[in-house]
Amino acid sequence: MTPGQLLLFAVGGLANAAYLFIVAAGLSLVFGALRVINMAHGSLYMVAAFVTVVIANQLGAGLGFWAGLLVAVAVAGAIGGIVEVLVLRRVYGREHLVQLLGTYAVSLIVAGGVRIVFGANYRTVVSPIPGHIDLGGYSYASYSLFMIAAAIVIAAGVWAMLYRTNLGRNIRAAVADPDLLNATGVNVTRLYTTVFVIGAGLAGLGGAVVAPSQAVGSSIDTDVLVLAFAISVIGGLGSIIGSAVGALIVGMVVSFGLVIPRTNPFALAFVFIIMTAVLIVRPRGLFGLPEN
Amino acid sequence: MIRLFPRRRGDRIRWGVVLGLVLFAAVIPPLAGLNENLNPDTSSRFQIFLGTTALVLALWAISYNLMLGYTGMVSFAHAAYYGVGAYTVAVLFKNYHLPILVGLAAAPFAAAAIGLITGLVAQRAVRLYFSLLTLAISQLLFSIVFQWYDFTGGDNGISITLPDQLSDYTTLYYFTAAVVGICLLLMFILVRSPFGAALLSIRENRQRAAAIGINVRVYELAVYTVAALFAGVAGGLFVMYQQQAYPEMLYWTANAQPVVVSLLGGTTTFLGPAIGAFIYVVLDNSISKQFPYQFDIILGAIVLGVVLAVPGGISDVPSVFLRLRERFRRGEEAEEPPEESAGEAIRMFDVRKALASEAIQAEEVHSGQTLLRIEHVSRSFGGLRAVEDVSLEVKQGDRHAIIGPNGAGKSTLFNLITGQLKPSSGKVIFDGRDITGKPPHVIARTGIGRAFQITTIFPKLTVRQNLQYAMLAHGGYTVRPFGIANRMFSSQAQELAEAVGLGAWADLPAGQLSHGDQRAIEIAISLALGSKLVLLDEPTAGMSAYETDKAMELVRRLATERHLTLLFCEHDMSVVFSTARTVTVMYQGRVLTEGTPEQIRRNPDVQKVYLGELEQEELGA
Repeated sequence: MTPGQLLLFAVGGLANAAYLFIVAAGLSLVFGALRVINMAHGSLYMVAAFVTVVIANQLGAGLGFWAGLLVAVAVAGAIGGIVEVLVLRRVYGREHLVQLLGTYAVSLIVAGGVRIVFGANYRTVVSPIPGHIDLGGYSYASYSLFMIAAAIVIAAGVWAMLYRTNLGRNIRAAVADPDLLNATGVNVTRLYTTVFVIGAGLAGLGGAVVAPSQAVGSSIDTDVLVLAFAISVIGGLGSIIGSAVGALIVGMVVSFGLVIPRTNPFALAFVFIIMTAVLIVRPRGLFGLPEN
Repeated sequence: MIRLFPRRRGDRIRWGVVLGLVLFAAVIPPLAGLNENLNPDTSSRFQIFLGTTALVLALWAISYNLMLGYTGMVSFAHAAYYGVGAYTVAVLFKNYHLPILVGLAAAPFAAAAIGLITGLVAQRAVRLYFSLLTLAISQLLFSIVFQWYDFTGGDNGISITLPDQLSDYTTLYYFTAAVVGICLLLMFILVRSPFGAALLSIRENRQRAAAIGINVRVYELAVYTVAALFAGVAGGLFVMYQQQAYPEMLYWTANAQPVVVSLLGGTTTFLGPAIGAFIYVVLDNSISKQFPYQFDIILGAIVLGVVLAVPGGISDVPSVFLRLRERFRRGEEAEEPPEESAGEAIRMFDVRKALASEAIQAEEVHSGQTLLRIEHVSRSFGGLRAVEDVSLEVKQGDRHAIIGPNGAGKSTLFNLITGQLKPSSGKVIFDGRDITGKPPHVIARTGIGRAFQITTIFPKLTVRQNLQYAMLAHGGYTVRPFGIANRMFSSQAQELAEAVGLGAWADLPAGQLSHGDQRAIEIAISLALGSKLVLLDEPTAGMSAYETDKAMELVRRLATERHLTLLFCEHDMSVVFSTARTVTVMYQGRVLTEGTPEQIRRNPDVQKVYLGELEQEELGA
């Protein structure tokens, strides 16, 4: 592999890592504070991707995309809020089995709804940041570089939210001991809703950001969910740093996996082989929190 | 004696339902034929085909429910083993030209082998992480099947043509029904065997299951493999009537089917998922053809409804109805069943019965010999030294109390003895065996019973089952995949339940009893293990003075007359001084002093510890 090719695959890996990080960070944030694995996380991502594509195509590629992105994040956050109030509040503190099945049911309902509203066909949207940058004999889409920058900004934003705001302090306190936090006068019920809405918003942001770089279809929910789980398991649930490291590993493996001939039965399996290997050595992932 | 008709009404209804289901399955083909004669626009072939679908789905879902309903495991890899079974039949038939029945015989073993190997990996994690790991395994197997064109046909899958003698729909239906019937019978034998009892214990409470001597991970791996085996049969049958295998069978979302079917029919009854499978096939056929997208929403709504409102699924509807009727009649909240325990158990402790109970060991011991020796044991959590350099001997037949203020390290020391925690350094010798760092189930089997500070019982099992399963596990019977667990040790468990005053509530779920009664179960379980050494962590916490006296009288007399050795920690000094013959005082993770109750009572340092006046330097630390 020449240095030019290496750079090409590495940038591709970073672009993968960028949107995967945004999605996985939301999943991890929700798990950290609420101790619930949200099986419907990919569904929120899918809804947002469709909303972005539809609005951008209606209003025209440039401004339309940014308007679509804002609406998509709001829609995902709103669905998240409804789900938290109607479903999750009834399953906190119950067996993890009930929580998995409850959010799994939500994912089925949302997936069905998306197929009714948007149909089963793949949709695409023109990139809001057209153009290429040429480097070392290969050209790189400007939008990929934008995605990487966006992920870095969001990572910084999530970090600042957790460590520089009252909300973040309360979230971290809720991770440690929700009952004690409640006793100090913080409305933990509302805090949980807020965290879940933020998590859902991040899923939506991931979906909106990814829309111009991939075809948007009605099975992207499970595809991204599986990768987000792989990231969370590798990095460790509940850790934002873990999400970043996991996203980098998975993004790179997916990108460099393209080098392997497609006829190799293990070409698509590498992510899961790595995930398994990490869990064998560290059952809670690289930076994981214990359950409960 | 074999009874033709079950004596109890509940049993009669249950067997009636089973008989009805079997008859219904038997008459589907003639009914479909009759229907075709009456309504010429229907096809009997298609309806028999649907019947076959329901049978295979029932087998697949019931195998899934061995994990979900009986053991409390959520797996996302079950579809993969179903797929492995399907591909085994298809590949052997198409690529190797072996007879289809050879493939069908090989399918369960291929699925079980892959289930065992991948299960070993999934076992690295527990609960949530286990579920996520099964998802990765599922996608791994899917992508191999999807990519391996030469062997599996890649995304095209494999199509086969059945030999003539099996191509008739009715013949294939009865063949499938026979295979499914045999598999269900085997699984039914399994779930009511002592092995099944171990699974239920794990579902109810992993910590308690380990503390009665069940190797939780080995049993989980075993049931995972067995479930994969039967999923392999279901996958093999699928290929026979569908005449194809395709990679999407292994994709993780395919697990929705057994999950929905199990929840729909009810995870707490053996045949619930079979009823769920039938309803699912009818729904699928009537709705999903016209409204494919709406079908997902309906499935989601079913899962959500069952999870939030009817935890028992369709087969639980009668009991929901009964509860509603009860509430209506009383005109008030009737959450509790009419028969209610009132925390009276301890008042009814019957020492005479307890002493007569065979469950509690009666082996002669040599008083004065060391039974448990703890040598320089330490354990720290991060920077906190919870237990530091503790050495302690417990003599056979002694009643040994450990006292000390909160945070002295008493519960940590208990956890180090019974294996919930591993010591950072030091040794624990029990009955001449080094048990340092051994897992809880091994330590339980060497003869250490434990009552936890926080009540740790099997809440949905009856009081009698709580005791029976402890006896089964301790006796090593839970490896048996045959026999009827609920009929083993039944009278011994009843005796023990009566001894601790719970005889009248032996058939109630333990979780419905009051706090005090649950404490009594907790103590009874630790006694039911036939243990040489019984550890009681604050046995009388939350009891009234009267209950405390009764409980400790029972414990004391059992200890003396049945040669039990007791090690307990307790805050109530009157309990300590009336029961213990040796007292060890712990303070800030260390042993402060040891002696007879009289010596301890007069020790000025101990008085200071309890008055909070003892300074760190005075310890000479």
